[in-house]
Order: sequence, then structure tokens, then C-alpha cells
Amino acid sequence: MNERIEKIASQALEDIENAKSSEALQDIHNRYLSKKSELSSFMSKMRDLKAEEKVKFGQFMNDIRFKITTSLESKKAALQKKALEERLNKEVIDYTLPEVDLKKGSKHLFNKIIDEVCDIFVGMGYQIAEGPEIESDHFNFELLNVPKDHPARDMQDTFFIDETLLMRSQTSPVQAHVMLEKKGQGPIKIISPGKVYRRDDDATHSHQFGQIEGLVIDKNINMGNLLATLELFSKAMFGEKREVRMRSSYFPFTEPSVEVDISCFECGGKGCALCKKTGWIEILGAGMVHPHVLKMCGFDPHEYQGFAFGIGIERVAMLKYGVDDIRRFYNNDLRFNTQFKR
Amino acid sequence: MKISLNLLKQFVDLSGLSTEEIVHKLTFAGLEVEGVTKLAEASNLVIGEILSVEEHPNSDHLHILKVDEGPKYGIHQIVCGAPNVKVGLKVIVAREKAVLPRLGVTIQKSKIRDAESDGMCCSLVELGVDKTYLSEKQINGIEELDPSAPVGEEEVLKYLGYDDEVLDINVLANRSDCLAAFSLAKELASLFNRPLNIPTFKEEKLKESDFKVSSATSKCNQFSLKVCKDLKIKESPTWLKRYLMASNIRSINNIVDIGNYVMLLTGQPLHMYDIDKLPSREFIVKDDVESDFVALDEKTYQIEKGDLVVTNGGHNVCLAGVMGALECAVDDNSKNIAIEAAYFHGATIRKTTIKTGLSSDSSARFIKGINLNQDRYVLDLTVSLLKELADAKEIYETVSYREKEIAPTVIECSVSYINNRLGTDFEASKIKEILERLYCLVTFDEDQDHFKATIPSHRIDLKCDADLSEEVIRFVGFEAIKSRLPMMETTRGGLTFEQQKRLKIREMLIANGYNEILTYTLISPEEDQKFVLLNEDEPYILKNPMTVEHSVVRRSLIVSCLNTLKYNLDHQNRDLALFEVSEVQTKTSRYTALVAALNGACHVRGQLKTRPYDFYDLYGAFLMIMEELGIEESRYKVARLTSPYFHPGRSVKVTIQNQVVAVIGQIHPQYQEKMGETYVMEVNLSAFMALKVGPLKMKNISRYPSVSRDLALVVDKNVLAKEMIRQIKKSGYPLVSEVSVFDIYEGLPLEHDKKSLALSITYSDCNKTMTSEEIAKCEAKIISDLNNVFKAELRK
Repeated sequence: MNERIEKIASQALEDIENAKSSEALQDIHNRYLSKKSELSSFMSKMRDLKAEEKVKFGQFMNDIRFKITTSLESKKAALQKKALEERLNKEVIDYTLPEVDLKKGSKHLFNKIIDEVCDIFVGMGYQIAEGPEIESDHFNFELLNVPKDHPARDMQDTFFIDETLLMRSQTSPVQAHVMLEKKGQGPIKIISPGKVYRRDDDATHSHQFGQIEGLVIDKNINMGNLLATLELFSKAMFGEKREVRMRSSYFPFTEPSVEVDISCFECGGKGCALCKKTGWIEILGAGMVHPHVLKMCGFDPHEYQGFAFGIGIERVAMLKYGVDDIRRFYNNDLRFNTQFKR
Repeated sequence: MKISLNLLKQFVDLSGLSTEEIVHKLTFAGLEVEGVTKLAEASNLVIGEILSVEEHPNSDHLHILKVDEGPKYGIHQIVCGAPNVKVGLKVIVAREKAVLPRLGVTIQKSKIRDAESDGMCCSLVELGVDKTYLSEKQINGIEELDPSAPVGEEEVLKYLGYDDEVLDINVLANRSDCLAAFSLAKELASLFNRPLNIPTFKEEKLKESDFKVSSATSKCNQFSLKVCKDLKIKESPTWLKRYLMASNIRSINNIVDIGNYVMLLTGQPLHMYDIDKLPSREFIVKDDVESDFVALDEKTYQIEKGDLVVTNGGHNVCLAGVMGALECAVDDNSKNIAIEAAYFHGATIRKTTIKTGLSSDSSARFIKGINLNQDRYVLDLTVSLLKELADAKEIYETVSYREKEIAPTVIECSVSYINNRLGTDFEASKIKEILERLYCLVTFDEDQDHFKATIPSHRIDLKCDADLSEEVIRFVGFEAIKSRLPMMETTRGGLTFEQQKRLKIREMLIANGYNEILTYTLISPEEDQKFVLLNEDEPYILKNPMTVEHSVVRRSLIVSCLNTLKYNLDHQNRDLALFEVSEVQTKTSRYTALVAALNGACHVRGQLKTRPYDFYDLYGAFLMIMEELGIEESRYKVARLTSPYFHPGRSVKVTIQNQVVAVIGQIHPQYQEKMGETYVMEVNLSAFMALKVGPLKMKNISRYPSVSRDLALVVDKNVLAKEMIRQIKKSGYPLVSEVSVFDIYEGLPLEHDKKSLALSITYSDCNKTMTSEEIAKCEAKIISDLNNVFKAELRK
């Protein structure tokens, strides 16, 4: 009998080995392990055996069944693994095909500079002040210490609308608006970006361009504060290694007035084409607010002092990103506009 | 202003200082030197004498010269092509290895048509002298030196006075005093602490003049005149020509040149009259003349009230500070002249120059302001030059008019003020020293802090205490300033609500693939006529535009945006999504506007999967903005837009209380030109941002399951989906929480004017689980209401 059982078992193992699908395995399971199977029928013969043999035979049958079961299971696992592998192989994609277009658009370089500069100053507690682009002569000139027929008016050729209205030629009138609103009470800490207009048009001048004006007024503001503020700005904008120097200059609304240079960020001050071999790049104009301006705008110049500075937006962009012609900002050729996404 | 460095060196001792040091010091003191050019440039030169001239056998114009180059170098053979060679002529020889930078050559020993040539005889042009200032003869031939020129002299440029450098100084508007060599010399003397050497003149007893001068206007408060007789008009000496040349002034004759030279030295413009042509001996300055005026340029100008005029015997002899009259001009035959040194009010002269279009070095100086207190000195200087260079014999006393004596400016200031302003800690003695070196007179109060500074008359820019702080720091150098961030009350920085939202909206659009553009505010009148939909205001128009293309302040951003679109399509940029946020300002309103435009296809997956942009792209962008601003649909009305510029079936206007605050739609095919289907949106962002929005509060979320039911309804084609949705929400209130369209069908078997809308309706109740009866009842009401209002039928 045992011989017969062994034969069945070896047949079962052979069938398992040859099975090609999980269905075939199920058949095998039914054939050899179900209650109606031949193997099961041998179990009923256990009753006829002696107790001692019963144990031995039971042990023998269990071993046989265990062999078949484990073989079935491992074959089943192997088949499943193979099926999964086949499926995965079928599902291979070309990962280089066009992706879903989530490309973002681009900020205009002009606004990128404004946003970056504002961010730096807002971090220092400045507010952003804005004013109208069509201004009165009074705010654009007179309150800034440029009376009618002052020769400094020739420095800026202005677009006029009528006798009293003009396209602002600088963002400085925003200073005057803010000061008058404050009614002689400091402190003031503002930055005012915006468009300005002058009668000028060539590769380095556009009749429309941008400025960012800064103004700080309080009781003990001095030029050292201006210098430190500009140093901080320059490092944030052009890199931590930048140094700042001042040269005497003239603006009607500041006294002393300075031109501010930063050490060249291209060559680090050694001299290159960008800085015209000087190691320095002129970046902005600044100064201490002229006492006349403070007075005209409602502040007592004996009590308050302040500093102001003005940055050319396109100039900063041209220097920082190597833009060669100011007109590129206004042509809006997307091949240019989309270069400044990060 | 261009000025000869050698000229400056005559008036201030700059020995031992390099040009670089001088340039650096001036630049940092506010007198930026924008360029340094050499008047002439060459090395290895020597003065030679031509010993013999032979014709070159192989040439019709070359000569073979023997030139004596002095004991050190001996005699050399030089082949020369100049027409003016002759025996005995003293010439400039560029020896072997001489470098002539303007020609870009180095002289080598060579053979010219078989004749040996060792060196080159030079013209001034070859040494780099600007042709403008040379005669025909000098340009076409070699330079003929004076017979006394020392043969063998190697410092040739120095011998000729061409060893000079020209400084190009950017004199800023406040430092008009530095449009004068004497003032620049004073600056240099102060900055380098060097002695000044400006000529002075002794009082001399001269013949009394029978001329009278006066002014009938406060715009001329000082007028001095000097008469000088029996002078000879001739060519100026070369030194004078050279100094004028350095400053870009052409030499005319000795008299004109002296006038220009004196102005170059002192900054005081002069005018000269031929006294033999004058109708009287009395000059009166007036500003109430109305007349024609024939000026030196032989053109006629209109003198109007307000123009300053110098009159003589009822004749207008000079348009003051601008140009003299032809009738009494100094000419080649003049012998006796009167020289005027006056002060004319800058603003008045400015008006006259703008009106007449006449401007000169003189008028520019008056406009910027001149030293009020040097007229007599200037006339003495002029006369000394006339004596030296024009053989002037009879000199008369200066006659002067002065409204009142000019008191020097005194500024009250303090050491503490200066230090507080600059962030420095200068001692009183340091400040005193600096100001004194700048020719101020300083007297301290007892407190050793406050002081009075008397300002020298040439420094017309110094008017208040702040000006003195600038003088101190530009003198010491800005390195003295201690860098320290402001110590002040903390302020609340940051962006206003509008600024935050504007930035957010821009960044959202960018994140959704829109590219930001920036266009000109000024457009043409023609462009301004189109696409103005958000206001009906009058535009601002420029009085003095540069071109008509940029002469009107735009009232809409659409035209500029469409121009940008066209520009990009012309440059092969395709599938465009553009936007701009800019301010619009008209005579009656000012607001922030947003424009956006779409053209071509939206790339879902590159070229693999695309779909054309349509109305719903822009409308979606609009709703995204509304969501950002927290503005619900009930706050505004949307209706079809009727505008010649927009597709009537594919455009809408958004209104708030009848004011159009946004337009969205497809450009009318008639206006889309070659662009193809183009969608554009303009939004008055300010109007939306001005709407009050309630505070954000949490709404309860139902704990019970919601139920979705679909409905397919057949309605007339012109029924708007949004209106049906609104009705469903109304009919199904409060159970209906959401309605959305998930399919639209037109075509058979539907009638041609019908469409089928498939809607998904979500029901939910916060308080309990809904029963199917409840939902069925609600749905039945919805269907019945839709049938009543829209004649909607359930699709079978």
C-alpha cells in the first residue's frame, strides 16, 4: 500500500512541477488532496491497522500530504511571480515622451527686480509706497527743491501735459506725498518702485523706465545709516562680498549727494569689461534729504533728518543679467522675457 | 567741460602729482573726470634740420632728405612725401622705433622704392593733433618749426606745448563755478593743499571814461564796462589757440579768443562792442522791449517783454547774455571796443534761450549762475591780455552799475550738526581747517561748537548748513563715514492689502503658464481709440511728445497687449499666454488694470496633446482671481458684451452697479488681423479690491453621507447653463449643495435648436441621513421648476 501511495505522491509532485497556470494547480489540488482523492481513500484504511502501525502510517501520510502541499504553494508563488513579471514587462513606458505641461510662465524682468528689491527692504521694516504716474509740477519738482526755471530741470527733459501736470520724471514725488501725509511726524521708512518718463530714447535710455526710491526719516538719521543700508542692500542683491563706496555728486533734493558704486561682481574688483577696468560699478544715487525738502514737506529740519536713494531698475537688471539694450524690456519678445524664470 | 591740464598747472602748483592722482581726487570730490585725452602722442621724436633735398629717382613726388638730428644722433637719410620740404627747414623727426599711436605705426628703418629711409618727418596730424584746429597747410604737409627750434631737442611735444592732457570734467549743475579754470585751480589747491598762482592786478590810475551804464530791471543787478582803444586785430599766438583747442573752442582772432579765454579762466561771459558803431555813450539794460532784433548770425529774432536787452541810444545792441546785435559787432576793422561783464538773471536768460533756440557757452553760464563779485577783476584781466596780444594802448577806467553792494554769504552752522548729519566725529579744529582750505572765513562762538562761515564769492552753491556738511565730507572723503544701520523705532513693514493681492494674482497667473509683459504707457491717438471698455474718460495728451506714436496716456491695456502678441507672432513665437498688470490713469480715474491674452493652443503634453485656447481659459483665470479676492459670483453681473471689437457670441462684460469692471472674450474677427483666434481679458482690479469682503469663518461639514444624482435635460440652445444651475440651487435649497455640468449634447435625435445638458447634483444634509423619499421629492421639485422656467424636459 505504501508503495502505491509513494507512487501517487511522486506523480503529484511531477504534475505540480509541470503545471503551467494557477488553474492547473487547483486541479492538482483537487485531484490529490480533496476528500474524494485516491490519497484520501487510503486514510479510511487506517482503521484496520494496529495502534502502533496507525501512528506510523499517520505520520507517513502526513509527510506525504505536507510534501505535496508545500510543493503546490511554492509552485503557486512562482507562477504568480512570473505572471507579475510578465505584466510589468508589458507596462514599460518611454519616459522621454512629452510630459504634462506644468511649466510656469515668467515674471517680467523689470518686475522681478522690483519684487526682489522690495523684498529686501520690506525685510528691514520698510513699507511700499506708490504714487500716480501723472503728477503735478509741484510734487515732481517744486517740493523737491527744483523751483521753476531751475537749471536742474534741464537735467531731466520732462513730458508735460499742461502747465501744471506732467508725466513724473522720477519716483521722488512719492517721497513728498508720504511726508505730507505724515504731517511732520516720523519715522518714515518707505520704498517706492515705479515707472517714470523722460524725453530720451536710445540703446541706454528709454522714454519710459523704472526707478526705486527709498526714504528714511527720523530724528537721528545720518549718512552712516545710509551707507550701512546700501551696503546691506548691495550684498543682498549682488552677493555677500560686495563693497560700497560713495562719490560726491549733486541732486537738488539731497545734500550731501553721492553716487554710489559697488565693487564689481563680475571680477570681484580686479577690473574687467563690465566695470570698464575700474573694479567698481555705479549703481545708484543717494544723499541726505535737503533741509528745504523736509521743510516744504512739513518736517522740521532741526528735529528730523533723513536719507533717500534712487535705483534704476533696468540698470540693475542690465548689470546683473548682462542685458545689452534697454529696449529689450519693452519689446517683450518672449524669447527674452522667459529667460528669467528663477 | 574740457580743460587743458597744463593750463590748470599754470595757476596751481601740481608738481609731483600724477594725472591719475589728480583725476581720482577730483572725481571723488564731485568733479567727475569722465575722460583724459592727450593732445598729441608719440615717442622717440627729435627736432631736425633738413640739410639737403633730392628728388627720388623712382617717384614723381617723393624726396630724399638728409636730416641733421643733432650731435647725439647725427645725420640720417629720410624719404619724405610732403610737398613743403626745403633745405634749412626745422622739422619733427620720428626716429627709428618711434611709436605713433594715432597712426598705429612704429617707425622702422626701410627701403622706399630702393632708397634707404631711416625715420620720418611728421605733421601734427601724425602726432595725433585734431585736424579741426589745424590749417590746410599743416594738414597737408609736415610741420614747419620756427627757425629758432633747437636741433637735437628730444622733448619735442613739450617744446611745442603739445605735451598736454585734456581733462573732460562732468561739472554738475550746482558747481557752475567750476566751469572756470581759476575755480578748478582753487579746488585742486584746496584738495592737495598746494599754493595758488592766480594773477592779480594792481590799482592803476587810468583815464576816466565818458560811458555810462545802468539797469532798469532787477534781472540785471550788476553791469560793468571797460573801454579800450587803438587795438590791433590779428591771429592769436599758438599757446592761446592750444588752450582754446583743448576746450573745443575754435580760434577766430585775438580779440574773440581773448573773450573766450577770459570766460574759460573766470567763468564770466564777456561781450564786446565796436564803440565806433554805437549810437551813444550810454548803456541801459531793459526787460520791457518789444522789437525785432538782428543778431550776429544775421538772423532776425523777436524780442518780447521779459527778455533782457542791452540798449544804447534807443538801439538794442545785445540780447543780453545770449547774442549781440549785428550793427555794433566787433569785426576785422574794429579798433576801439567796449567790453561788458555783467550779471544777468539765469531763469530769465533760460526763458529767452528756450524761446529763441539760441544758446551758447555764455548763456549756459548765466543760466547756471556766475560769481557776482568778479566783474572788475575780469575786466582787468581782459585788458592785460589785450595789451599783451592786441597791442591795446588807450585803456579807460571801468564804469559800473550795481543795484546794491553784494554782501558775502554767511552761513551759521555747528560742529555737532555736521557730525550728526554725516555720522562722523570730526573735531572743531578739523572742520575749521577744511573750510578755511576751501577759502571760507570761519569764526567760532564761545561754545566751540557753533560757528559762522563767510563764503567766498565764487561758491554760489553754498547757501545753508547742509551745504557745509557736504563740503566737509567731500573734502575729507566718504571713507570717513562710519557705516551703521539706523537705530530707530521698529516700524511695521510689508505690503498693503492691494499690493499683496496684486503680487498674488501675478504669481498665480505665472504659475498657470502666463508670461508677464511690460508695455509703454504712452500710445498713439489712433491706438487710444480702440478697445477702451473699462472707462469712458478723457485721456491725458502730451503737450511735448517725442513722437506721435507715444503721445497719449493709454486708457486701456488691451492695444499694447495685442501689439505684443503680434510682435511675438511675427517673431515665430507661438501659442501665447500673456498678461500685464499696470496702472491706468485718465483725467477722471486711476486704477490698476490687468490685461491677459491667449492665442494658439494650450499644450497639455507638448505637441503630443494640445487643445486650442478658448473663452473658458480666460474666464477660468478670472474666476481664479475672484476666488483669491474672496468675491462671490453674487457680487457682480456677467452679461454678453456688445462691442465692435469683440465676437458678439463669445464675449462678456462684468459689471458692478452698472460700472463695467471687466471684459472677457474673443477679439472680433475683423480686428484679429493675421493673429488668428485671440482671446483677451481686461479687469479693473482696483474695483474688485475695493469690494468689502466678510471675514473668513469655518462652515460646518456634514457628518452624514451626501448623495449624487444625475439629470439629463433638454432645453433651448440659448438657455445658459449657469442660470439653470442657479435655479436648481434655489429649488433644491437647502439640500442641494453642488451642481455641475458633465456633458453637453447637440444633434440628432434632438431638434436643431435644442441641446441636452447632463448635470450632476449633490444633495447633503448636515443634521441627518437623507431618505430616498426626501431626495426624490426634492428632485421632482427641481425638474418641475426647470420645466416651468426653462421648458426643460427630461431626456428620454
